[in-house]
Amino acid sequence: MRVKREHFRSPKDLPVVEYVTPGSPLCAGCGGLTTLRLMHKVLGENVVVVNAAGCMTLMAVYPFTPLKSSWLYTTMGSAAAGAQGVRDALDVLIERGKLDAADDLQVLVLAGDGSTYDMGLSATSGAIHRGLNFWYLCYDNQAYGNTGFQMSAASPLGSRTATSHSGAVQRRKDIFELWRAQRPPYVATVSSHDAVDLAEKVERARGLNGPKLFLSLAVCPTGWGFDPELSDEIAKLAIETGVWPLKEAVDGAVRHTYVPNRFRPVEEYLRPQHRFAHLFEPQRDEELLTRIQQNVDDYWAPVLAEPVANA
Amino acid sequence: MSRQLLTGNAAAAWGARLADVDYIPAFPITPQTEIIETLAAWSQAGELPGRFVTFDGEHSMLTAAGAAAAAGARTFTATSSQGLLFGMESLYTISGWRVPLVLVNVSRGLSAPITLGPDHNDVLAARDAGFVQIHAETCQEVLDSILMGYRIAEDRRVSVPVLVNLDGFYLSFTREPVDVPDEAAVREFLPPFDFEHLGFRASRPIAQGVAVLEGATYSHFRYQMHRAIQNAAAVHAEATVEFSRLFGRSYAAIEQYRVEDADTVLVMAGSFAAKGKAAVDQWRADGRRVGLLRLRVVRPFPAAELAAALSGRRAVGVIDQNLSPGVGGIFCQELAAALYSVPDRPPVLRSFVTGLGGKDISQSEFDHVLSVLDAAQSGDPVTDTELLMTAAEWQQVQGRLASARRPVEDNAPLPTDSDDVRAAVRAEFEDARGGVS
Amino acid sequence: MIRIRFHGRGGHGVKTASRILGTAAFLAGFETQDSPVYGAERRGAAVTAFARISETPIRERGMIAQPDLIVLADDTLLNDPAAGVLVGQETASAIFLNAADPAPLVAQYHIAPPARAFDVTARTRELLGRPSALSAGVASAAAKLCGCITEANLEAAVREEFSHLAVSPDAVTKNVEIALSVFAALEPAVLSDVPRAATAEMARVPYVDPVLGASTVYNSGNAEQRHTGAWRVERPVIDAGLCTRCGLCFVECPDGAMSLDATGLPLVDYDHCKGCMICSHVCPVDAITHQPETAAW
Repeated sequence: MRVKREHFRSPKDLPVVEYVTPGSPLCAGCGGLTTLRLMHKVLGENVVVVNAAGCMTLMAVYPFTPLKSSWLYTTMGSAAAGAQGVRDALDVLIERGKLDAADDLQVLVLAGDGSTYDMGLSATSGAIHRGLNFWYLCYDNQAYGNTGFQMSAASPLGSRTATSHSGAVQRRKDIFELWRAQRPPYVATVSSHDAVDLAEKVERARGLNGPKLFLSLAVCPTGWGFDPELSDEIAKLAIETGVWPLKEAVDGAVRHTYVPNRFRPVEEYLRPQHRFAHLFEPQRDEELLTRIQQNVDDYWAPVLAEPVANA
Repeated sequence: MSRQLLTGNAAAAWGARLADVDYIPAFPITPQTEIIETLAAWSQAGELPGRFVTFDGEHSMLTAAGAAAAAGARTFTATSSQGLLFGMESLYTISGWRVPLVLVNVSRGLSAPITLGPDHNDVLAARDAGFVQIHAETCQEVLDSILMGYRIAEDRRVSVPVLVNLDGFYLSFTREPVDVPDEAAVREFLPPFDFEHLGFRASRPIAQGVAVLEGATYSHFRYQMHRAIQNAAAVHAEATVEFSRLFGRSYAAIEQYRVEDADTVLVMAGSFAAKGKAAVDQWRADGRRVGLLRLRVVRPFPAAELAAALSGRRAVGVIDQNLSPGVGGIFCQELAAALYSVPDRPPVLRSFVTGLGGKDISQSEFDHVLSVLDAAQSGDPVTDTELLMTAAEWQQVQGRLASARRPVEDNAPLPTDSDDVRAAVRAEFEDARGGVS
Repeated sequence: MIRIRFHGRGGHGVKTASRILGTAAFLAGFETQDSPVYGAERRGAAVTAFARISETPIRERGMIAQPDLIVLADDTLLNDPAAGVLVGQETASAIFLNAADPAPLVAQYHIAPPARAFDVTARTRELLGRPSALSAGVASAAAKLCGCITEANLEAAVREEFSHLAVSPDAVTKNVEIALSVFAALEPAVLSDVPRAATAEMARVPYVDPVLGASTVYNSGNAEQRHTGAWRVERPVIDAGLCTRCGLCFVECPDGAMSLDATGLPLVDYDHCKGCMICSHVCPVDAITHQPETAAW
């Protein structure tokens, strides 16, 4: 079941114009790049991307940039602070007549889960606390992908990474809730699979002044171990199994923007990915598979119990 | 112009105010806090047109400072000690962006053990960060160096950040008379920042801080930072002429105090140089030909000026308020390198370390330095850095060490107590060699 | 000393190939070095790896600009000047081409060193059922051309290196089989020690304005100048007759390597399409087919 859409009804409604040119050295089939490209389309051209160290840092390798907008690489731990510096500078320069108001830009932090969940959390929490008016796109591929896929605080239970050979045993941080706890005006999860939902959310958030998180499940053929052709399929399975709920929180009030009519078993999402292969071979890890399914069920139970289920 | 009694911290705040900065990202740390408190108060009173924002830590604060400068804002920020180290990654980042700003560091000794008193190990940890670095001796010089700092940083022959250092407590909390220049005169000295080549604007997108994955191009960019900071020497000299014309005060890269005919010269930096000058005056009164050089501009390192000023002297003593463990005083190392190719370099060069964690330096210690220099002969092997400490101070230290031990252990010897472990090791080595041959 | 330079694409296994060769030479008792070069490049992008084999201690490090042997896993890299396959070919005693017939490539690309060839891709596909992991075959070709590696050393090295990878025992066996068949099919190269010129002029690097003194790119969107089309293994081909103009493929292309014409028909930008084939997978009416990209596959 889908919430009513106000701005975009089908992929055909999305802007045709591109602000991210091809020619970047990112992996074929990168879900994070799809998300950035789609988000940028809806944001429009006047954007400055403030980047934290991660896969996307290598979008722009001297002397090239794929962005038709602006870019500032900062550090892994302080992209949100860099966004604050840029936002404040634009504001004060316009206020003081040193910059034409027509030259104003929207500030977008672009960070992976390693920066978002781990090293950059203090800087981000500070920016939320200060009510900074900025967009934040986290391309969450659930590990330190750029260094070769090591475990991060976003790595899901059971995921094999280069530093968790038998699978992550921790519960991943719920960064959506960590953000929401500070009551920014907008927090959303998005997926490259549902471009219309993503576009709709950007449009809904546009008028809100303050921190706006877009947490995207960045399907990662290289790190997760599947053929790039399946990128969209895996992203879709994450949604249809309930592993990746599509939702938003406006001023803290959560609603799900899509609820599968019939949840597919989590196994269907796990099985095609090499990072979960050890759950199936050489023998099925029944206990862990049950736990993973149970975690998903436990997440959705109260959501589905709501009387007007997010209509 | 008005003459006011200002602390070094207040003088720093005045420097930022007179520079008409657009942006001040801030975070408190002793002994710098008064700077940001002063600026916050002015900002809240509507006396400061720029924007004041507090951050979640120095790493964020410095990133924001650099990002704002990259966006074209004239930016001021300040920190100290652990804060400078916590923000160290950002220092390298923003100098790599080649953006101008002024960062004030209020020197304080580093942890562990955590302390509050000043020394220069914090600021010298940043000596390779790609900042121009100026060390002030007086509160007046703090204010003046900030104004000069913006002029140097914003010059396209330089375009790197400037760090102005003042000593915690000895300057930060000490009031002394300071001439606060008129705004109009400052405007003449420091016109608005022309950020044409920087800045993010809708009409001209740019990508700054782009990754460079190829060594030759990376080498080029890093080398440009070196050349930029070298250029700062001439730009500083130009700024000095203009500053002197407008405000009547003049600053060279090194201050030469009574060195005209000196056979012996002390080299110092920061506020303790004032005490060094007093010692020089006393020795001069006794008929000794002693002078003092104060390092003001530390990056670019004024190697040529130092070589010229010290050429032909008999003895040089460097009093470092810092310690590079395993090497000794840092400025002494850098000075030795600067003197290496000078034909009539001073035959005697000695390294002394004092003032760590704010330890005072007394006339007796200066006298000891002079006696060591007097006794040293040309050709003597260069000895290790000597830690200056009076017997009375050492006695007090020993009392504290004793208090820290459990009473039952008081008299028990410790396994590695030795006057000089190195000497013991060397003796063992000599014995062993003797046995072999 | 024999200096060997491997060229391939991310996923081909040229790093593993350099390690297999290094291990084989080590087992044979030589001084040896092997190393990959890491960049921003991803699966499908050009990758280079190196090996040095010597009877005396090796006083060289890093990249090999003047190789004795060039080993090329994918001839489409000859189209990419940035890959630098033929850089330093003047000193090379031989080049190995992963192809059934080297003659057309030698003629087309003016390849100077004597060329040896074997269709490693075909052999790999035959035994493993997929053509991507070429490491065993390519390493074996290099080992044979070097002339100083025995079959036993090679086999042991393949087993050793594959033991570090998460592959089945069956796959190891098949890779050994690939390696040995390539080894048997080739002859050692005639290695001649071409003198290395060492008289480069030095530059004096001046101060430049900050516009060129910082890693700032003012030419926005210029990544388009980089053609990533050569990364493709397969090419998506759109059947305009079947296409319903739904736009899904256009929306889901990560790289924006697709555009829509006035009628809404999607057009693939083959200069940039990396061949992920998401477009084909998302097409609701199967109007986008896979076509093998090059003869190498």
